[in-house]
Amino acid sequence: MRCSYSCRSIEHVLSRRSFLGGLAAGFGAAAGFAGRPMGALAADLQRGGYQILMIYLAGGSSQLETWDPKPGTATGGPFRAIETSVPGVRISELLPKTAQQMHHLSLFRGLNTSEDDHGKGHYLMHTGRRQAPGVEHPHLGSLAARFLAPERDPLPGYIHITPGGGGFSGKDAAFLGPKYGALTLGNGNPPVNADRPGSIGEAEDLARHQLRMRLDRRFDTRRRTAETEAYTATYDQALQLMERRDVFDVTKEPTRDQDRYGSHDLGRHCLLARRLLEAGATFVKVTHSNYDTHNENFDFHLEQVGEFDVSFSALIADLAERGMLDRTLVIVNSEFGRTPNINQYYGRDHWSKAWSVALAGAGIKRGSVVGATNENGTEVVDGEAHGEALFHTYLRAIGIDPVIDEFSVNGRAFQIADPAFYPIEDLLA
Amino acid sequence: MRPMVPGALAAPIVLMLLASGLRSAPAAEAELSLHERIDRLIEAKLDAPPAAPATDGEFLRRAYLDLAGTIPSPEEARAFLDDPSPYKRDRLVDRLLELPSYARRMQYVFDATLLERRGDQHVPRADWEAFLLRCFAENVPYDEFVRRILEADGSEPPEQRAPAKFILERGADPDLLTRDIGRLFLGRDLQCAQCHDHPLIEDYKQAHYYGLRAFLDRTSLFTDPKTSRAMLAEKAEGETTFQSVFRKSVTHTTAPRILDLEPIADPELPENEAERYEVAPAKDVRSIPKYSRFDQLAPSLASDDVDAFSRTIANRLWALMMKRGLVHPLDLDHADNPPSHPELLDLLANSIRAMDYDIKAFLRELARTRAYRRSSEPPPGASEDLVEPSRFAVAGLEPLSPEQLAWSLMQALGVVDAHRQQAEADLDALEADLCDLCREDRDRIANRPWRIEQMVHDRLAGNVRGFVQIFGASEGQPDSSVESSVHQALFLSNGPLVQSWLNPSGTNLTARLAAIEDPAAVAEPLYLAVLSRRPSEEERAEVVSYLESRGADQRAAAVRELAWALVTCSEFRFDH
Amino acid sequence: MRRPRSDDPPAPAPAPAPAPEPAPDPSAGCGADPAQAHVSRELPHDRPLICCAFDPTGRFVFAGSEDLTVRRWDLEAESPSAVPFAGHESWVFDLACSPDGATLLSVGGDGRLIWWCASANEPSPCRTIQAHEGWARSVAISPDGSLAASAGNDRTVKLWSMADGSLVHCLSEGHDKPIYAVAFHPNGRSLISADLQGRIIDWDASCGEQRRRFDASALYSYNAGQQVDYGGVRDLAFSPDGDRLACGGLVNGSNPLGAVNDTAVLLFDWEKRTEPALLKGKGDLKGVAWGVRFHPDGFLAVASGGSGGGHLLFYHPGETEEFHRFSLPNTARGLDLHPDGLHLATAHHDGKLRITLMRPQPE
Repeated sequence: MRCSYSCRSIEHVLSRRSFLGGLAAGFGAAAGFAGRPMGALAADLQRGGYQILMIYLAGGSSQLETWDPKPGTATGGPFRAIETSVPGVRISELLPKTAQQMHHLSLFRGLNTSEDDHGKGHYLMHTGRRQAPGVEHPHLGSLAARFLAPERDPLPGYIHITPGGGGFSGKDAAFLGPKYGALTLGNGNPPVNADRPGSIGEAEDLARHQLRMRLDRRFDTRRRTAETEAYTATYDQALQLMERRDVFDVTKEPTRDQDRYGSHDLGRHCLLARRLLEAGATFVKVTHSNYDTHNENFDFHLEQVGEFDVSFSALIADLAERGMLDRTLVIVNSEFGRTPNINQYYGRDHWSKAWSVALAGAGIKRGSVVGATNENGTEVVDGEAHGEALFHTYLRAIGIDPVIDEFSVNGRAFQIADPAFYPIEDLLA
Repeated sequence: MRPMVPGALAAPIVLMLLASGLRSAPAAEAELSLHERIDRLIEAKLDAPPAAPATDGEFLRRAYLDLAGTIPSPEEARAFLDDPSPYKRDRLVDRLLELPSYARRMQYVFDATLLERRGDQHVPRADWEAFLLRCFAENVPYDEFVRRILEADGSEPPEQRAPAKFILERGADPDLLTRDIGRLFLGRDLQCAQCHDHPLIEDYKQAHYYGLRAFLDRTSLFTDPKTSRAMLAEKAEGETTFQSVFRKSVTHTTAPRILDLEPIADPELPENEAERYEVAPAKDVRSIPKYSRFDQLAPSLASDDVDAFSRTIANRLWALMMKRGLVHPLDLDHADNPPSHPELLDLLANSIRAMDYDIKAFLRELARTRAYRRSSEPPPGASEDLVEPSRFAVAGLEPLSPEQLAWSLMQALGVVDAHRQQAEADLDALEADLCDLCREDRDRIANRPWRIEQMVHDRLAGNVRGFVQIFGASEGQPDSSVESSVHQALFLSNGPLVQSWLNPSGTNLTARLAAIEDPAAVAEPLYLAVLSRRPSEEERAEVVSYLESRGADQRAAAVRELAWALVTCSEFRFDH
Repeated sequence: MRRPRSDDPPAPAPAPAPAPEPAPDPSAGCGADPAQAHVSRELPHDRPLICCAFDPTGRFVFAGSEDLTVRRWDLEAESPSAVPFAGHESWVFDLACSPDGATLLSVGGDGRLIWWCASANEPSPCRTIQAHEGWARSVAISPDGSLAASAGNDRTVKLWSMADGSLVHCLSEGHDKPIYAVAFHPNGRSLISADLQGRIIDWDASCGEQRRRFDASALYSYNAGQQVDYGGVRDLAFSPDGDRLACGGLVNGSNPLGAVNDTAVLLFDWEKRTEPALLKGKGDLKGVAWGVRFHPDGFLAVASGGSGGGHLLFYHPGETEEFHRFSLPNTARGLDLHPDGLHLATAHHDGKLRITLMRPQPE
């Protein structure tokens, strides 16, 4: 049986932090607790104004056709490597535009996640934990919505743009509660119910809200609690969101940018991501499908990575140019990489032993490569780290110290990242 | 701690102290009713007067929500408010506990508690709901209820396998079941004791975790190839062993065991492996051992020997009524997280056991307490300590559950009434051909409200499920994890479902209000329907002014906006 | 899947019937009997092969490999080595020999079109042209040996002078998706190009104008679930008298990313604008028709590779059901017909180039 280490165990963490006794966070201070208690942490984080952009290459993108090419070897496939804007760093020729943005990026080529199952790999890469029965951990997007998003942010804290259907689901939030779940903008369409019913004019809508607020004031004057306050605040958020529903409309962006990002779904979705981040959205995830290329890996990667290159490079360049990269953590990940071995269908299969992710922005070194695989990419030979460590790295990059900072929900303390791991320091600025 | 309140406010305290002093002799104490003993234990810990008794309207709404799962109809509200009897609150509680809506309310409560919004992969939802409804309609004792759930393994005939949903929808996963059985029935979240003794909670041992798991370790989920139904299969052998991740050198073995009670030793097993089975394991065959560890679970857990069992249900039912547990959170019962009122929890645990786990009788006692019947409005100048929820000096406040919200909205806006009338007409038509004798059959008459309730429920349950999606927890999470969100506000503000209920149609609320010519006559029926109370003068004036500002030609629209404002204001959204 | 066994004919097999004579008369029946097909030789290489071609004299067979080389085997040698032709920086996707057998052209994922002296002892590129942006996927030489055509992912077809390598025509207006195959009509006047979407264009080889289009989109599908384009014309072949055009590919691509699809060939009548015939493998054989070749006797040979294994399928004219299937020990990826009309070459993932003889096995 594998232990999930989901608990905050003294033995797990004693060497690194003071032991926090009891359940209430407050007890920690007395025990000489080194990190920030929840209140201070929340204030610090919100002051930081950090945002996160995750580009998720669904299905398992090939490290060999992206960040860690091995041209001319038995595992290299047909594509060549090209120079980038960082001398000495070479990436796949499928990423010519991204290569020109390499000085903004950090590549991590030492990832070993030991998880070749789609569902479990997806879970690990989103939660920083291995899936174990009886316990669900929140996804990074939900953690961001809970701990990074400004109080009363009119924009949902966790927005997911993906082809296919949309809607709101609390699943990713696990014990944080569904409020911090994902608002999925299916095909980039705006959220449901963001339009006033046709039969109600703007003035009438405002009038009924004013009436509601008077009723609330009368009731709340004597009974106000955090819960009633949070409830009434959601209507303010709703009104603001309705007023700003244009932020979900990518066609409001200049035609020139729409062309630059590409006329495909990913282009529109990345441009929408830029628009949302500019409007202050805390966490935006864009999913690009589908990289699960057991068959004809090279033809399919040619198409998929080709789209990604156009849209992603434009997005990174814009975030950098607009000064947003300093506060925006950019993560390009997947559930795993693909086998160095090329199968009889010209495909590559699931491979988690030695693969890569790209990071950029807030708290991340620029233009660097960390970790390395051997000549034909079959194992990590330098700087190996696991998915849990990568998750620590994300958190540190946005100002959370997962080792010592204090997190609690409904009076229960929890460890925001797997306590058996550490961040990958070399990636951090 | 707040110092004693001087002057006028001190008087009630003195009276209270005097009152409790008069009957402090243990003998007299024992003769007191349970609800009085509860109140004394609560009030003994207060050093300032608690909140005033709830108003009639406040009490009516609370009792309805808690015991019927919805708000009252405007007619019921009017009748209760106008009833001069000093006993009307007791009578209301007694009446509510006998209505079909009580069983329905408990069905929803225990569905959300036991399944935590899990899906319906293995057992049809309708069967499970019918099982719960029947248990609460018949007021099955709680220990018996739990035994029915934990002894079901899914192999029963289709009409009897509903209780297995608890186990089957968890995929019969031993870890998940161990955790949830600990949380829900023993008030202990032992998750962190899976890999080693709990690092923070001295009372939670790894041995507790594995003692529970040992009941389940030999089972696995089996799908019958013929019926495609899932059920438990069990082996006759296999030990439950564990080691601390910190001391891997030592391996412990445990027999099934509830917390620190005696382990349940296996009987002597026959040497011959085949003789250990009723049905031996084979491909596509459900193995059945002669001795089943799983079969020991239900009787061992739901037993008078298990203090944690009675303690946990007493605490959970207390929290259901009072909006907060004596032990809080409900699944962290241990020495370092003591109950706010230890003696009270002991009293409740002993009482519910002494009452043979009669949930209805127990809830009736809670509903008779002064603590339950207080206002949710703190007394003027109350200290922070006094309003602290764990003091129970001020009535608790809690958002309506998804089901309460859906039914209350449909009740307030006249959706339920329309469907009830239709259901009554349908039933009359159905029974039109019955002979007089049959029609006057006592059972039939007694059954009629249940049949009507079921018909209305069947027509509107789809709407309720929609609310559960938006206002409920995600799969596998407790409803307490739900916070208000902008999506919910957008759903109530702009969603087509609520809009359709608000649009005047037939005899619904807005149609009835729009037909009232005198603007001054609108406020009362509006407030009675939505907030179960009469409006204040200020509120009456507000309604008149709103209607007049919109003009007579905009009456329907104005009424719709008024009704919307009332159903979205916090007074409606919360049980208070 | 059948693996080579010790009792398989050893390689080299007993001399493959009379050593191939140069350029036999294609009209004369050569006595090929597909029903007797058996692997007569296995020519080994240590890396997966992609495509293959015989030289018109019949002495050599060439294959493109995943090791970025072209390999040549001398069929007259007893155990020929795989002579490397190094010049590409990517996989070699297609080969073509000039009618006189002197020149070999290769194209690859580096976009290069390379001229080689086919029989050189130590081959090196005679001419290297950066022919396409991205992959060059297909190459063909006109029947008179004067023109070469290449095509690739850049959606262009290019016509080159065989003599000096100069660009004669660049046909860039016609395809919206990567071009997978080009072929010359036996009359030499038509050049055919076919793409991922199954669009086939008949170009006037002399002036570069579009003459006609054929619709082979039955071989293409867009999978909305996986959001991928899939299929395409993987190989082209004309019947010797030019009245039929075979397009190899796949249908029923229900899971493109998982290689779930059925081998299929679309057969067009070159003159009549009738609906093409769809040829599939019996029992919905899973795979792709990677190679198609007409035999002078009129039947069509198809090399199928994929999750259903490697097979040679044979079809009589006018029939849509194979009359014979010969199963190969490894998935097949490329096909060519020896000028003697008796031998078929198939390129395999296991690194072997297999020669299948359509004659009874020696006792």
